[in-house]
Order: sequence, then C-alpha cells, then structure tokens
Amino acid sequence: MSGRLKKIVLLILAAVLITGVGTLQKSLNHDRDTLGLTHVEGLTNAPPILAFTTVALGGFRGLISNLLWTRATQLQEDDKFFEMAQLSDWITKLEPHFSQVWVHQGWNMAYNISVKFKDFPDRWRWVQNGIELLRDEGLKYNPDDVLIHRELAWFFQHKMGANLDDASMYYKEQWRTNMQEVLGGKAPNYEALLHPKTADEISRARLLREKYKMDPELMQQIDEEYGPLEWRLPEASAIYWAAEGLRRAAQNPDRIGTSPTEDLIVLRRVIYQCMQLSWQRGRIEDNPYVEGMQFGPNLDMIPKVNDTYLKMYDEEKDPSQKDGILKAHRNFLRQAIYSLYVYNRMSEAAKWYKYLGEKYPDKTIIDGDLNSFPRNLTLDQYAVACVQEDINDLSKDRVQTILEGLLTTSYMSFVLDQDDRAQGLRMLAQKAWQKYMSGVPAERAGALDISFKDLDVTVRNRLLNPTNGLPPEAAAVLRTKLNIPAEKTPPTAPREQSAAPQSNKAP
Amino acid sequence: MQQLFAIIVLTWKAALRFRLFLVITALLLLAVIGLPILIKDDGTARGFTQILLTYTLSAITSLLGISTLWLSCGTLARDIEECQMQVVVTKPIARWQIWMGKWLGLISLNAVLLVISGGCLYGLLLWRATKLPAEEQTVLHNQVLVARSSAKPDDVSAKIEAYATQVLNERLKQTQITKADLPEVKRQIEEQAKAEYQLVAPGTGKVWRIKLGAAAKSLENEPLQLRIKFNSAQKSPSGTFVAVLQAGDPPSTKSIWRSEPMSLAPDTFHEIDLPAGLLDTNGVLTVAFGNLNSSALLFPLDDGMEVLYRDGGFGMNFARGLGIIFCWMALLAAVGLASASFLSFPVAAFLSLSILIMALSSGTLANVVSDGSIDASAQSDKTTIAVLDTVIIPVFRVALRVINFARDFSPIDSLSTGRSITWLELGKAFAQIVLLLGGCFAVFGIFVFNRRELATAQGQS
Repeated sequence: MSGRLKKIVLLILAAVLITGVGTLQKSLNHDRDTLGLTHVEGLTNAPPILAFTTVALGGFRGLISNLLWTRATQLQEDDKFFEMAQLSDWITKLEPHFSQVWVHQGWNMAYNISVKFKDFPDRWRWVQNGIELLRDEGLKYNPDDVLIHRELAWFFQHKMGANLDDASMYYKEQWRTNMQEVLGGKAPNYEALLHPKTADEISRARLLREKYKMDPELMQQIDEEYGPLEWRLPEASAIYWAAEGLRRAAQNPDRIGTSPTEDLIVLRRVIYQCMQLSWQRGRIEDNPYVEGMQFGPNLDMIPKVNDTYLKMYDEEKDPSQKDGILKAHRNFLRQAIYSLYVYNRMSEAAKWYKYLGEKYPDKTIIDGDLNSFPRNLTLDQYAVACVQEDINDLSKDRVQTILEGLLTTSYMSFVLDQDDRAQGLRMLAQKAWQKYMSGVPAERAGALDISFKDLDVTVRNRLLNPTNGLPPEAAAVLRTKLNIPAEKTPPTAPREQSAAPQSNKAP
Repeated sequence: MQQLFAIIVLTWKAALRFRLFLVITALLLLAVIGLPILIKDDGTARGFTQILLTYTLSAITSLLGISTLWLSCGTLARDIEECQMQVVVTKPIARWQIWMGKWLGLISLNAVLLVISGGCLYGLLLWRATKLPAEEQTVLHNQVLVARSSAKPDDVSAKIEAYATQVLNERLKQTQITKADLPEVKRQIEEQAKAEYQLVAPGTGKVWRIKLGAAAKSLENEPLQLRIKFNSAQKSPSGTFVAVLQAGDPPSTKSIWRSEPMSLAPDTFHEIDLPAGLLDTNGVLTVAFGNLNSSALLFPLDDGMEVLYRDGGFGMNFARGLGIIFCWMALLAAVGLASASFLSFPVAAFLSLSILIMALSSGTLANVVSDGSIDASAQSDKTTIAVLDTVIIPVFRVALRVINFARDFSPIDSLSTGRSITWLELGKAFAQIVLLLGGCFAVFGIFVFNRRELATAQGQS
C-alpha cells in the first residue's frame, strides 16, 4: 500500500470512528442519565468552544476558573465592569454545571454592578444581563437546577418587584413595556400564543419562547392555578420561574440538590410571597393622567391567595412558624375584606367577612378594640372602623383631609372608569363622616365644620378647577360622567372660601 | 553606523528567515480581528469599545512582549551557541555595536508590528463606530474615543502635614508621648485633619473649587465632566445614596447647573456631564455636593473630586499610548539581550520570563511590602518568617521601586477610559523605561558581552 493510499484510508477510518463515537456518545449520555450514574446531565446544546474547553481542559478547568474568579474580583474592585463581565462569561463556560457559579455571577451583575451606575437605563441593562445569564445560559446547561430557578425568580420578585433599588420603578416600567410587546396587550391571549395564526401572533409567540424562554402552556396553567396574574408585572414572572423549577424538580427528583426539601420550600415561598404581593398591588392601573405606573389590588386573586395561606400552613413543619402564618392569614383577610368593600364588591366582601368570623371567631379585627370580634360587628361597621383606625384621636382637620382623600380617590376612579370602586369609596367616606360626627357633639370643637354634601362639592370643584385641578381631559371625563356643564365650573377652589369663616366657630 | 545598520539588517533577516515576523503579524491580526468575536460586553457602544480596547491592546502587548523576550534571548544566545558570533566578531565591528545593533533591530521590528496591529485596531474601532446609532456615537466620541485631561482641587497634603506637626508639637509640650508612639499619634492627627477636607456630614454640603489653569480659556464654551467618588460611613440597604450636585457660582459664572437628586453608589467613580459656561473668570469651577442621607460621606483627597475636559483627539492619544507600549518592548528587548549576553538560550529565556512574571506580580510584592511580612497571618513558626522577612522585605521593596519605574504608566487603562496620555507622559516613559531601566540592562549586557570569551566550548557545538 502506497503512503498516499495509506493516508487516505486512515483519514476515512478516522472519520468513520469520529462519527461512531458521536453516535455512541448520545447513547452513553442517555444511559448514564437513566441509570443515575451522574448527578449532572451531559453537556448539551453547548457551542463547540464550550464543548471543547470542558473536555480538553479536564480537571484544570477548576484551576483556571479560580484564577479567573480572582481576577474578576479585582476588576470589579477597580470598577472595570465590562472586563469583569467577560471573565464571568468565561468562568461560567469553564464550569457550566456548577450552579453556584451561575447564581453568583448573575447575582453580582443584577445586584452589585447594576447599582454602581447612576443612570437607570444602565442599571436596567445590568439587571437584564444577570437575568439573561441565568435564564438564557445557566438554564440551558442546567435545565433542572432548582437553585438557578430560585435565583431567577428572586431577581424578578426582589430586584425588580421590591422597592429597594431607587430604579425599581424604572425596571417595572421597562418590564411592562417588554411584556406588553410580547402579549400584544394587557393580558395574554393564550389561544394566539399557543396556536398563532397571523404574522403578528407568530412573531409574538416566537418572542415569548425564544427571547423570554417562557412556555405559554405553562403560563396558562399558572394563571389557572394561581391567577389571574398580571403578566406585565415582575411578580408574575417570579411565580412562573418558581413554578417551572418545581415542575422540573418533580420530573427529575434525583437532580434537586443536596437539600431537596429546603430547596423546594424556597421555591414555594417565592410563589406564596409573590401571590400575597400580587393581590395587594398586582394590577396596573392605566391612568393616562399620571406619569409613571400606578398599581391597584388584584381582587380576583383573593380566593387563591387564601388557599395559598392554607397550603403554607399545612406544609409548615415548625409550630412557631405556623402561628405566624395564621396571623398573616387573618391580616390578609382583614385587608381583603376592606379592599373588596372599597371596590364595592359587597357580596364578596360579605362572604369573606363571614369566612373570617368562622375561621377566627375569637380574634379581634380592629386594633385596640378588645371587643371587636367578628360576631360583634357588621361588615359596614368593620369597613368604617378601618377608616376610623386612621382618624381616631386625630384633629378634625386631619379627619377632613382623610375624608377628602377618600372622595378624591372616588372621583379619580370615576375618571378611570372604575365605577364600582368610586361608588364603594364614596359610600365609605359617607359612612365614616356619619360615624365620626355621631361620636362628636356638633357644638364641640372636634366636630367637622362642613356637611358631607358640602365636603363632596368642595372636593369635586377642586378637581374641576381649571388652574390647579385635574388635567383638562380628565376633568372633561368627570364632567361628562357627573353631567356637569363646563361653564358652571367655579374658577377657584371653594375650600378656602368656606373653611376660613367657619374655623372661628366657638366651642 | 554602517556596522550598526548591518547588524540591524541581519536581525531583521533572521526574523524573516525564521518566519517569526510573519507568524507574529498573523497572531496579532488574529487577536485584533478575532477577539471582538469572542468577547462579551454589556451591549453598549461604550462598553464594547472599552473592552475591545482593553483586551486587544492587552493581547497585543502580551504577544509582542513574549515574542520580544524570546527573540532577544534567541538572537544573541543562539548566535553564540551556534558559533556564528565568532565569525561576526572577527569583522571590523565592536561588540557594543553588535549588541546595540541587535537591540535596535528588535525594537524596529516591534515598531513595525505595533504600527500594523495598532493601525488595524484603530481602523476597526473607527469603522465600528460609524455603524452605531447617532446617540451612541455621541457618547463614544465624547467619552471614550477622546483624550481628556483632568483637574483636581488644590493639594492640601502640605497644609495637613504642617497642621499635624503644629498640633503634635503643642501636645508634646503638654503631655509626654513615647518615641515609639510618635508616628501613630501624628498619623491620627493627620487623619483628623484630612477628615475636615474629606467628610460631608449628613444633611450638609461641601464646596470644592477646582482651578483649570491654562486650559480654562479654551474651555469657556465647552462641556465638562465631573468625576466623583465617595465612601460611606454606613452601608445603605439599597446600596446607593441620594446626592445633589451643583456647579457654577453666579454672578462670577455665566450660569449655574443643578442636578436632580441622584442615586449614587459609594466606592465607585461616577462621571457626570456638565454644560458649558460654568467656569468663572479665573478659570475656577465651583462644585457643591449636598448629602441628603443619614450617613456621612467621605470624598478621598486624591480621587474624590475631579474635573475632566477634552484636550485632544483619540488618534494622537492612541499613538502616544502605543508609544508607551513600545517603550516596554524596548525594555524587554534589553532584558532579553542582557540575559543572553552571559547565559545559554534556555537559561536566558527562563531568567527573562521570570523577570517578566515578577514585574507582572507587582501587586503581590506591594501587598507583602505593605503588610511588612511574607505571611502576616502566620500562626506558627513566626521566628522563621521573621528571619525571612528581614531579607525578603527590603529586596521586594527595591524590586517594587524598580518595577514601578516601568509600571507607573497605564496606557491601556487611559485609552479605554478616554484619559489623555500627554507628550510629557510619553517623554517621561521613554526616559524612565528606555533610557534609565533599559540603559542599565544595556550597560550590563554590553559589559558582560564584551568580556565574554566566545570561543569557549558551547553547549551545542
């Protein structure tokens, strides 16, 4: 055999063997996975350079990543964040199955580096970098890792959702814009996302799956189980990633980690905490007259949040914690009833008030009133007492301010087409006024100098004042709703006119 | 001169013959073109450019540095080992001319390689900049692809020193302080005096007056940048502190600028854009800082408050930066040649690389010197460490001083942050790195090479 022929034969043989190894490797990875021979999965979806480094460097990867880590820490201390991010990328590529590395680097970007920038867009970029590192890279190589899911959910819940960072509202606004682009509106249309037909639907469904790595089917399941969620808020994403982590853990129980129970509890807690937050401020109020985002309660979530508390209670093993959960549950019910009342959802408020009475018959519901057991109060009395808690022992001016606040919010709700809420607040203000006045004789200094009707007119006129009232568009909406002609709007705020002479009234 | 030129040509020929020139050129171009594909940035033009400059220039410096050391050791040591040097020295040429010729040959080789790789990098940067959106281009051309000088408040260290001495003398009159305690007492007085200049108490403000000197006239209608950094007495839960800044001092300035309340992190530099027209008639910028927090904030005297202003374009700055890198290469060539003047190739290469590694480890040396021990946390065998320290610490101190002559300059850092590298700085680099340090190695190398008996049995002959 000539030298040239020998070389050709050897090359062909090499090609055949490499192809064979490639095929066999898949089977080997599958076997070691199913037989539980390794805790981690074989590296899949890795780019050639990553696959090469993990195999070629072998045990030296750890050493190199340690050196890079030291260098990255130094670079961060020197404010060289761009170079540091590059090193972080290499470290995670050297140790793709080491979830703590992903979590640390992601956290470092989202928490430590982001706040180093003074401009909010720069901060947002680094928060996104941290999220993308975990979501797009970390989970690609560790799809079943509970820790990475938990951290990702935490970024949404705490970094974006909480108000610790001065830029948190900016993050929320950016996230709302992003999600609105994906959802094509305020709420997801699951049919369009699952079975897209038009070009726009196809594009949005692809964006959701490919960029945000979210499965619309799972979103729908989560909405049914925990929602309806406001997907434009970060808490919904936090619930999504925690639920996804739980789902993965259920499918691969052997890959949960060293302390499986603790890890899973942490994921569940993310869901519980986000649900609690979601009912309190889990709705974006679209107010075109105000700059920035405004939130409102998501009252539809109350039954599911209630179930969540009960589930939390059942799952908690520590007796001392159980008491805390019950207390939190009682507080939740009190707040929920008040909110339902304010939003004029009376039948639901009554239902939950009854439930509160049955569940906690021996617990008082008004702070400082030792006789305020549910059986001793009607729903109306309870709602008014909630306001009363604020106005008790206050000066009449402060009481008037609170009542004006209720009426102002009521009128604003009218403007925003939240008629039920407007009605509920108005009724509450009226009952609070009656309750307050019934406890104070009219001749006493503490009595209000103004009738409820006059107070109502004062507030309304102030809102319609063209110089310092509502924006013209909002004022026009209010006038239309209240059937007030434009020309009858008084030019100045009447409160000043009426309050001054009456303030000199003798005791 | 002819002899010197002949050796330069021979060195070039050797580099070309061994295809070294081509290989290094290819590697450098690969670094310049390939790195941008591999590196990850934060997605902004500024981030990308900064990281591109840092990584590419670092790669160029490393590649050139190692190849220069290798080549300089090889070109002399192998000539001696392969007895070619015996033939050369029989010609009418002095040995110092051979040594200098090889050095000049190496540095001219480096110069060409630097021009090629630097030119490609510069072209690549400008080309990529044109592809950016207009807004990003503005940021790039104002803050990164620019040469910015800086001005700081007046140095008060002399005042502090004088104050500390005065207070110390007064205390010495009143109380007895042991000789051993004197430095510590003085240091504490100095720190107290420093705090007066550095500290901004909660709910208060502080004013700095920064003279821009001769540059002020040309900056009357130019925007400026304020670079601030502060440390905090306490940690903030959000990791940031709320601050307001004001610049300008009417009526002596045309206008005044006030910031909105800003959320600023401690221990990090913040660059804040200032509009034009804030300098007074004496070229002084008045800056006031309001601390709206419940924690005291401390602005370090050396880098707490600084004004940056544009004083040139990126092109010349980039060229001066390459000039400093070139000075480093000239030094490395001298180190390699000096080693090869009395050692065989492998040993010379080993020695030269060891010197290079030591220079790169100056941070460790500095830590050891500042700790005063090679193992300050040692729990056992303290006596041995103390004995070792008595020898090692002075050696490290001297080594650090020598290394710092070359490492005082950071062209890559300056270029990536848009800071100006002045001609003065380049001249100083040339004097310190090439003339002083390189000169020492050259004198040593030439001296040893002059006295070396070339005809003795060589390792490979």
